Amino acid sequence: MDTLLSYEDKKRAVLIIIALFVVVWVALDAMAGGSVYWQRVLIRLPLLLTGEGSGWPITGGFVLNILLSLASMLLATLLGTFMGLATLAKSPLVRIPAFLIMNFLRNSPWLVLLFAMLYILPFQVRVFGFVIPFPPFVKAVIGLALPTAANFSEVIRGAVQSIHSGQWEAARSLGYTTSQIYRHVILPQALRRMIPGWMNLYALLMIATALATVTGIQDVLTILNTSLAMESERVIVYFYLTILFLFFAYCYPIALLARRLERAVKGDNL
Amino acid sequence: MNRSDALIEIDGIRKSFGDFQVLKGISLSVQKGEAVCIIGPSGSGKSTILRCINGLIPIDEGFIRVGDHRVHEMKNEKQMRPLRHQVAMVFQQYNLFPHRTALENIMMAPVQVLGHDRAEVEARARALLKKVRLSEKAGSYPGQLSGGQQQRVAIARALAMHPEVILFDEVTAALDPETVKEVLLTIRELVEDGLTCILVTHEMKFAREVSHRVCFTDRGLIVESAPPVELFDNPQDPRTREFLGQVL
Repeated sequence: MDTLLSYEDKKRAVLIIIALFVVVWVALDAMAGGSVYWQRVLIRLPLLLTGEGSGWPITGGFVLNILLSLASMLLATLLGTFMGLATLAKSPLVRIPAFLIMNFLRNSPWLVLLFAMLYILPFQVRVFGFVIPFPPFVKAVIGLALPTAANFSEVIRGAVQSIHSGQWEAARSLGYTTSQIYRHVILPQALRRMIPGWMNLYALLMIATALATVTGIQDVLTILNTSLAMESERVIVYFYLTILFLFFAYCYPIALLARRLERAVKGDNL
Repeated sequence: MNRSDALIEIDGIRKSFGDFQVLKGISLSVQKGEAVCIIGPSGSGKSTILRCINGLIPIDEGFIRVGDHRVHEMKNEKQMRPLRHQVAMVFQQYNLFPHRTALENIMMAPVQVLGHDRAEVEARARALLKKVRLSEKAGSYPGQLSGGQQQRVAIARALAMHPEVILFDEVTAALDPETVKEVLLTIRELVEDGLTCILVTHEMKFAREVSHRVCFTDRGLIVESAPPVELFDNPQDPRTREFLGQVL
């Protein structure tokens, strides 16, 4: 019987069993008195999601985590593109510094980078008479964007280098310049191969936004910690389970989509 | 100042990859309109010769001239560009750009590199597709074409640059036996049109029929060079005889 099931089928079966197990456990626990605690969670849910007990206006909460992840990803994509192209540069004057910075950022703990940004970045900068403030949210965006950018630059480098060397040869023999080869031949092909890695990185970044609670922004964890002060100890578990589920529900579909795209991109070659 | 009136002149070129010397003093000259086939065992440096002619591989020593371009004096990619506009190349693995259609593959370089007018290039590209008998495949992507069709698009792409010379690097080696014929037919027509061609090939019968001269290379040297009838029917060098004995 087992031999009839493919690897994919078995994987799906295991996932379904795990999901069922969780549902049954939650249901049994609720019947044994857990429903009281779930009601507490439900009352607080708008607060956790938006930072306001009434659900509007949005001042923080899980929505802030999403905003943080989007802003960070935008910055990381820009920085990472520059960094990735710099690590591919022919001139060692550009390539080696870019390579060192990229490796330094890639191998630093994200939490340490966040703390570093918190203390290194000033409260505000004055440029030509304009005052640009650096609130904790901006510091968190930069702190999370740096390691993400370094990882994205590796995604770019990998995608560019995965393009068959014959493409370079053909383009060079047609008289293209190096920058034209990148623009017309290599990057259009590499872009498709980058997208899955880019999405995986975004899911990772979203998970890491929970770290930003150390900057003091009103993200879902900060709000949880302040509101838990008024709750009984028993109910804390239910709150944390809820938060875990929120992150899972947001990130898992992204990872699934990325994997599907990865499979679609695989195989188109030469 | 040119040493001779040949279109391509190669004298004593040497090239090493690491410790391995691939070319040990190759000399060859090709007249305008001539079709020269280079045959020989694998690893004898045939493809390297082609890549030296259009500067894809820089040589260590020697003299290469194509038209007015002195390839051995060019130090960087920028100086090579005018040369590459005149010397086109067709590869064993076709190397079409997979994200563009057949028609776009042919049009890209003339528009983007030479800066020719788009409408004029499109007309030229469609005429070339017709020439290689693929008019109906203009909108197809390389992945949708057979190997032989891709190779013919690659030939059309090379022709679109209006080259003085086309270098063919084992262009049928990756093809199914039944599609080889259509590609060889296309090349034969180009030779008959008077285009200068240098072909590295394993198709002995084709080399014999189409070329004006055949060069046999072995271990980095041109061992023997003669019109095909002479080289195939009456080889002078024992190594040529041995090689032909194995492949024919």
